[in-house]
Amino acid sequence: MLRMWRVGLFSVLTLAAAPAHAFIAYVSNEKSNTVSVIDTDSWTVTKTIRVGQRPRGIDFTRDGKFVMVAVGDDDTIQVIDAKTQTVVDSLPSGPDPELFAQDAAGKILYVANENDNTVTVIDLEKRARLGDIQVGVEPEGMTISPDGKTLINTSETTNMAHFIDTSSRQIVANVLVDARPRFAEFKHDSSEVWVSSEIGGTVSIIDPRKHEVIGKVTFEIPGLRKEAIQPVGIGMTRDDKTAFIALGPANRIAVVDVATRKVTKYLLVGQRVWHMAFTPDEKYLLTTNGVSNDVSVIDVAAQKVIKTIQVGELPWGVTIAP
Amino acid sequence: MKVWHLAAMAIALSGTAARAADPRYPDWPCTQAKVPEISLAAVWAGPPLDDVQNKWKDDARISALVAKLSARKTPLDKAEKSVKEFLAASGSDKTANAKLLFAGLFDTLNAQRSQVMNGLERVSRKQREAADKIREETLQLHALQGATPRDEARVEALSNELIWKTRIFEDRHKVVRFVCEVPTTIDQRLFALGRVIQQEME
Repeated sequence: MLRMWRVGLFSVLTLAAAPAHAFIAYVSNEKSNTVSVIDTDSWTVTKTIRVGQRPRGIDFTRDGKFVMVAVGDDDTIQVIDAKTQTVVDSLPSGPDPELFAQDAAGKILYVANENDNTVTVIDLEKRARLGDIQVGVEPEGMTISPDGKTLINTSETTNMAHFIDTSSRQIVANVLVDARPRFAEFKHDSSEVWVSSEIGGTVSIIDPRKHEVIGKVTFEIPGLRKEAIQPVGIGMTRDDKTAFIALGPANRIAVVDVATRKVTKYLLVGQRVWHMAFTPDEKYLLTTNGVSNDVSVIDVAAQKVIKTIQVGELPWGVTIAP
Repeated sequence: MKVWHLAAMAIALSGTAARAADPRYPDWPCTQAKVPEISLAAVWAGPPLDDVQNKWKDDARISALVAKLSARKTPLDKAEKSVKEFLAASGSDKTANAKLLFAGLFDTLNAQRSQVMNGLERVSRKQREAADKIREETLQLHALQGATPRDEARVEALSNELIWKTRIFEDRHKVVRFVCEVPTTIDQRLFALGRVIQQEME
């Protein structure tokens, strides 16, 4: 009897502990001008927040208190209070902000403004503009090196990855990649930068010290035309062993072995898969699927899609509370 | 005065319709890119369907279900539920039935999509002809208005005709923009149903 009690008590305790693993994901819906809030415990949309026009780039502040979302057609970045889940402020970006990156400390924000070929530098504490950096035509992808010293910005029209020194705010190198570079991601050990090319259909691997392309990931899906394979978002596990690459209208995520740079598996997710985010425990990866208007949940260890969640129209980006 | 305004608008509109984004498809009137056919690999990662081909047509139950699920009037959530129920009740035939059902949906929805796209291109050609006609008649009207002596009856008749033609042109233009969304809606349905079928097979 006593033993049964203990077992009972034990299971109650574990159940009670379960919600501690629940995270909150925010998804920007480009066409419906909303942000969907997803609870990763119930895998349901718990709130839909009205934001400005054409929300795309989205990210939590490092302290987890706010969510920043670039609303391109309103030429600003809105700030959502994660507690009240309402828009409380805005940040001074340039015209048509699409994507942004923040430094490790969460103090400085770099914003790619698609329309005026600049990257705006913003002080996050003061919420004030510090200056602009001139870059290539139609800046798109943005990432910052783990040590915070180098900012990478890709430009859609000139097909380059620009390496910017964050202290001097000057471009120190330009690396030519394949057509329409979209997104850049550093390996956690800083040894490589991966840049996806939407039209070129490849991911270029760049040595960030030598500023040279040292390898390429290519994709092949039987029965699918080359032009339907458009790499965009990239996610890498913390151990730098596995990369996940969103292939747009191929409706698949490619699972890549980072060491060999070869695709090991393709996962059918949703239509026009665009960006992704890991839960902080790295158990799950959430992808935004623009045409099927949903989010796929991938079990990272099993490399399997376990769930689909309907969100707003044209989901673009996703961020998960730290 | 009014007729001038309308005619100018019609010509401006026809310009938009005629400016095809993709040179391979000069008659394609939509801003959405034209993808002539959905490829199987874009929507299906399940077992090969080579052995299935047209066999779904021979199975009365499956072809009836395909017709029901393909109809736009069937709400997508209801359609997904029907797929689950059908496959759950299929027992040991589940994989075979799943393949047949998807092959049927793939053929039917792809055909439905082609029909809509052909219709859009046909209307787009008609619109171009209509725009040419409106442009031509506008010039004629201009000439009539400037002639001395002025034939008021003819000016009046031609003006009315132009107003009428322009109105038809504009209405069609609105309908085209609406119909341009339909191929995507069909893509979404095929993908969503395919995904449910694949999940049920696992």
